[in-house]
Amino acid sequence: MSAIPVSVGMERWELPSRGRVAMLSLITGESAIFTIFVVAYIYYIGNSLTPPYPAQVLEIPFFNTVCLLSSSVTIWLAERQIERGKMRAFAAWWALTIVLGAIFIGGTAMEWHKLIYIDGLTIRTNLFGTTFYSLVGLHATHVGVGLIGLLTILLFTLTGHVRVEHSERIQVFALYWHFVDAVWVVVFTVVYIVGR
Amino acid sequence: MAESTQHDTLHKAGPAHGETIHLPAPTAWPIVLAFGCMMAAAGLVTSLWVTVFGAVLMVSGCVGWFRQVLPHEAHEDVPVVVQPVTITTTRKVVRRLEIGPEHRAQLPVETYPIVSGIKGGIAGGIAMIFPALAYGLLAQHSIWYPVNLLGGAGVGPSAHITTAEIAQFHASWLAVAIVIHTVTCLLVGLLYGAMLPMLPNRPVILGGIVAPLLWTGLLHSAMGIINPQLDARIQWGWFVVSQVTFGVVAGLVVAREGKIRTGRGLPFFARMGIEAPGLMESHPHAGPPLDRDEEKH
Amino acid sequence: MADQTLPIAGVDITPRRRSTAQMLEWLHGWVVTVDHKRLGILYMVYGIFFLLVAGVEALAIRVQLAWPGMHFLSPETYNEFFTMHGTTMVFLVGMTIIFGFGNYLVPLMIGARDMAFPRLNAFSFWLTAFGGLLLYYSFIGGFGLYGMGAAPDTTWWAYAPLTEKAFSPGHAVDYWALSLIVMGFGTLGTAINVIATTLSMRCRGMTLLRMPLFVWLMLVTSGLTLVTITPLTAAQIMLTIDRYLGGHFFDTQAGGSAVVWAHFFWIFGHPEVYVLVLPAFAIANEIIPVFSRKAIFGYPAMVAASVGIAFVSLGVWAHHMFTIGMTSVGNTFFVLSTMLVGIPTGIKIFNWLATLWGGKIRFAPPMLFCLAFLFQFLLAGLTGIMLSVAPWDWQLHNSYFVIAHFHYVLVGAIVFNIFAGIYYWYPKVTGRMLSDTLGKWHFWLFLIGFHLTFDTMHFVGFLGMPRSIYTYEPDRGWNTLNFWISVGGMIQGIAVLIFAWNLVHSYFKGKEAGNDPWDAWTLEWAVPSPPPVYNFAADPVVRSRRPLWDLKHPDDPDWKYEA
Repeated sequence: MSAIPVSVGMERWELPSRGRVAMLSLITGESAIFTIFVVAYIYYIGNSLTPPYPAQVLEIPFFNTVCLLSSSVTIWLAERQIERGKMRAFAAWWALTIVLGAIFIGGTAMEWHKLIYIDGLTIRTNLFGTTFYSLVGLHATHVGVGLIGLLTILLFTLTGHVRVEHSERIQVFALYWHFVDAVWVVVFTVVYIVGR
Repeated sequence: MAESTQHDTLHKAGPAHGETIHLPAPTAWPIVLAFGCMMAAAGLVTSLWVTVFGAVLMVSGCVGWFRQVLPHEAHEDVPVVVQPVTITTTRKVVRRLEIGPEHRAQLPVETYPIVSGIKGGIAGGIAMIFPALAYGLLAQHSIWYPVNLLGGAGVGPSAHITTAEIAQFHASWLAVAIVIHTVTCLLVGLLYGAMLPMLPNRPVILGGIVAPLLWTGLLHSAMGIINPQLDARIQWGWFVVSQVTFGVVAGLVVAREGKIRTGRGLPFFARMGIEAPGLMESHPHAGPPLDRDEEKH
Repeated sequence: MADQTLPIAGVDITPRRRSTAQMLEWLHGWVVTVDHKRLGILYMVYGIFFLLVAGVEALAIRVQLAWPGMHFLSPETYNEFFTMHGTTMVFLVGMTIIFGFGNYLVPLMIGARDMAFPRLNAFSFWLTAFGGLLLYYSFIGGFGLYGMGAAPDTTWWAYAPLTEKAFSPGHAVDYWALSLIVMGFGTLGTAINVIATTLSMRCRGMTLLRMPLFVWLMLVTSGLTLVTITPLTAAQIMLTIDRYLGGHFFDTQAGGSAVVWAHFFWIFGHPEVYVLVLPAFAIANEIIPVFSRKAIFGYPAMVAASVGIAFVSLGVWAHHMFTIGMTSVGNTFFVLSTMLVGIPTGIKIFNWLATLWGGKIRFAPPMLFCLAFLFQFLLAGLTGIMLSVAPWDWQLHNSYFVIAHFHYVLVGAIVFNIFAGIYYWYPKVTGRMLSDTLGKWHFWLFLIGFHLTFDTMHFVGFLGMPRSIYTYEPDRGWNTLNFWISVGGMIQGIAVLIFAWNLVHSYFKGKEAGNDPWDAWTLEWAVPSPPPVYNFAADPVVRSRRPLWDLKHPDDPDWKYEA
């Protein structure tokens, strides 16, 4: 193989970031999973043979929703701070994101506790219970995984391991969080507005 | 930027023998994590302890993997060993496909636009009404007869229907017949327009003789199976006459339309109407890509 | 061969005695590897192993059906065998082999040193591998009668409510669902990796429209996999919820619906066929031009057709369900959308024919398999269009005609092209050529066996033989045909054994290949065989779709013509 340098290819050669491509691909795949669960939920609306029915037991979780959706804003602010190298502001916004996410998970836990112990709705009670706990649980699992990731990054930030050059990775991870929030909009609409 | 050096080599100057290349270091953590995931799932069909074991493996796999890539991805340095590689061919001679002016691979430089086929279909559809109605009047003494044959074919099998009934006026059958006639004429016109580049020089012969005969032959052979009642009532002589009327009129309309240039010399993207600067401006004068053939010498 | 003395170069194939410690080290090297080439080989070896396993299952099924009233297998084992045959062939053979090809070749073809995520690559492979082992462990571990093991026996599409706890007690169905979930995540990981690699790891000058069609097709396949495997995973999770937590997704007694399972399964199941067949096209796209000595005809149309097939394939699933009872609007939609698939596939067939036309065709084993593929895939497509017509399907659904149709696709197109690809790239992977003589024996025997089996199956289908039956009465007029189908199966089995022998024998005794035995044009032939771990000592730069053509014909390079 000859080793003569070639003069072509001196023009700019830029490729998309592999992390971003991979995260978008993952999100595409995850969307398909959610689509199947959402379709199942919509298809089974009103098919439960026995009570409790959604209109009797579901309360619209406004506060939770506001918390989760505003966490998308705070994580975006955090992304901007790390790009500028302001690590303390980054950590602050990042921590606020975690708090908002934790409130959401806590709210879901309280809602489930009420449904299970007061209304007597479990996953095996009726079709509504099956689809409700599966869909909301699937989303809550994603929030939980996201929270673990957020917490890990926060720990590394506080110990000084996260620096400006990691902003690309932070943004890739934030894509996931935005996705989880966006899915909640769909889940919320289907479960609490259409399905109630 | 001398042309000659550009295609001499595939590689930029690379590391010489003995230098090293950074590659991701081998690691056992992915297999540990994968085994943990499988065991965690397997616990559901065996015993909870298997799941616990799987979960432990998963956690340790995650942590280990994490430590592999953070803060820096683990690398190993692989020494370069320059091995002899020959990129050459014994088939040096390139033969091009010879495309003569009469060659079938030569697409026409000029053709009729596809829209002209649709216009021809509309005109032909109107024109063929007259021989069809004439057939009704002359052979069956009712202009509704051919209309009802078409409409009835669309409505469904008319097993117990008499000739007298077919000769009467039925509003619904008329409506169905109009829909069928319009849609068919448009589709046939579209097909005709799409076929024009294949036989671009004699639109009247293609539309007036060839296509009606093919179409009638196809229908004649198939109608006995598809709808025997209808088949028994179709007079194929008259059928051909109206088909030829359609074709000739359509052909004449097409022939009156001007020819347009085909985009044969242009790259695919330009023909698709896509403006892709990086794709086509680099060789504006390049001819059409030819098929190439090599010969052993 | 230069690298035999150099232990670091790629796969060390030197056949020599090793001490136990050396063996362990060698094994350790394979277990911890993150090299895309080694993982590709692992995928292939794993796939070929299960090809033999599922092939044995198929032969056992054929022996059982060779004559009326046979008792070669027990009815229970028979059900397990056809379920496992289908599941194995799709998930453990098809998927692993196509991703084996993709793993090995995509980075080489785009001039990269490795996949975008080498560790994820290893993880995905091992997840798939362990998932397969879990599935097969059900033969001993599943709870069956008399303490025997019980493999899944609910057919590979596992229609509800048969899979519900009430009708399938024990763990056989759980093994099926759990192992497929595990494998599904492995597949998802590989698909993500292939996409990231093709989009982000291309060498200088390798624009999207200069990528070899193989890479394009792998990109499309992976994109399709993202939205295909995941619905199956979702449905399997629902099934697991039903079986373990007492959910009611597919429980018809509690308002659930068995038809929903059918929809969800085929939303996965039909695009899955395209996930398998697109890589088969990818292999043909590389082999047919090289052995016709011409550039591929209509490169942009081929790309567009591939993307088109992927899109259309997402909207055709319910043609598997015409007999389940849908509205006429639903039936009509799926009839028409299914017929639509014929258009992009037709474009591909014509482009391959146009590539062959006027070329100097070499009838080496890879090309032989590809030519047979063209012919057989056309026939498979035609029976596919017949079956897409709902009334026709009502007559022949779940008959052997359907079996014949999809085996024409899965064997006649996919397996033939997998063989073609192995004959074509084996020299690159091992440095040695596969034997031509054995290859031709393999080809002709397999071809004869294939047609004897699957052509005949169309006719028993017409005569009304339903699929998945254990045995049949002697007065149905199926006896002779079934006998010949089984004979054809045996001939195919012999051919595959010849192939396996060829793989092993040529590994040690094959002719040395050199880096470019076929006089080909894509980047993988520019590196030694087997390639060194780093693939390219220096990053390559390309200027056209056929970089090696440019090097071989400096006075007449491709880039002068490519717009």
